[in-house]
Amino acid sequence: MEDPPRAPAHNPFFRFVHAVQNTIDRPVTWFRESVVTPNRPDHVYYHQKFRRVPTIDQCYTDDPVCRFEAQQQFNRDKLVDGEIVQLVRQRLKECIAYEIPDQDRKCAKLKEEFDKVSESFCMKYADLGPYNNVKDAYMKQKHRMLWERRHGKVGTGMKNEDEPL
Amino acid sequence: MAAFSTLLKSFVRNANLVKNGAAVSNNLLRPNTSNALEAVRKMSGHEMMHIKPSRWSWNRFKDLLNFYVMLGVIPATVVITYINLFIGPAKLAEIPEGYVPEVHEYYAHPITRWMTKHIKKSYQQEYEVMCQHIYETDYARKLRIAEKRVHQKMQEKQDSQAYYYEPVTGRNERHIKSMLEKSVDYVGTR
Repeated sequence: MEDPPRAPAHNPFFRFVHAVQNTIDRPVTWFRESVVTPNRPDHVYYHQKFRRVPTIDQCYTDDPVCRFEAQQQFNRDKLVDGEIVQLVRQRLKECIAYEIPDQDRKCAKLKEEFDKVSESFCMKYADLGPYNNVKDAYMKQKHRMLWERRHGKVGTGMKNEDEPL
Repeated sequence: MAAFSTLLKSFVRNANLVKNGAAVSNNLLRPNTSNALEAVRKMSGHEMMHIKPSRWSWNRFKDLLNFYVMLGVIPATVVITYINLFIGPAKLAEIPEGYVPEVHEYYAHPITRWMTKHIKKSYQQEYEVMCQHIYETDYARKLRIAEKRVHQKMQEKQDSQAYYYEPVTGRNERHIKSMLEKSVDYVGTR
């Protein structure tokens, strides 16, 4: 939150620029450091950690409480995974913005990482429709596994028709 | 607020205000903005009615502006500025070992913390209430399904009168008897 200290300027032009900035910066900084910060109590806040509960594949079919808890955990995990994807995407965007026009070469690793992360996010959460449901996500996984059993892993190209399953 | 209006009126009466490009010299052509007494017949000689457009909306606007600024904007600004300057948002820290933080310690801004502490129900409370509600309704549903199956089987097999047996109590009869005893006092006969 605090800015790093500015390097002293020996150039008269930059000294002038710093002086102009300081006419506003110095009084404000003085006020904050002498009047505001000492009078504030030291209080802290934490990030909540949730306990892991059984997921949907460990629930009995006639246990709706277990299903509700699995659904809530699914929603929380979706938020967390979404934030992870956003962080990776932001890193890639910053790299591209900085390295353009060399971004294909210099940001290749970050792009690969982002592709992998977004692919796994989409495998788990995407294409489920507007009302998310942990059971639908579970069924999606089951269908994907069945499909992979018959056609080979997703993304490995067309299968040879003569080969057995 | 009314004081400002009368000041403006007296200023208008005495000054030559140029409105809509009218020539200043020709006083006859400028619109009559002063509070002229425009009665048709000067009957009473004093205390005549000022015929002018209604100032009601403008006065009400000034009232409302005063009300909302004095009672809303100024106190809110002062309170929120004080809280932001002298209490300030909390800093992020790791949860110490073996310590379960209160719900309001999961938020940074002091106003949010206060609201979470005193007004809002916590996530955990609502979650557990929902779990209990689901459990109870599911229990009732399962009981109803079981009852339906028992009923079906009894219909199929026709070997038990247990479901259709209504236990007889003497409670209603006793109540009717006591009412009859009382009615003798009121009516004189049964």
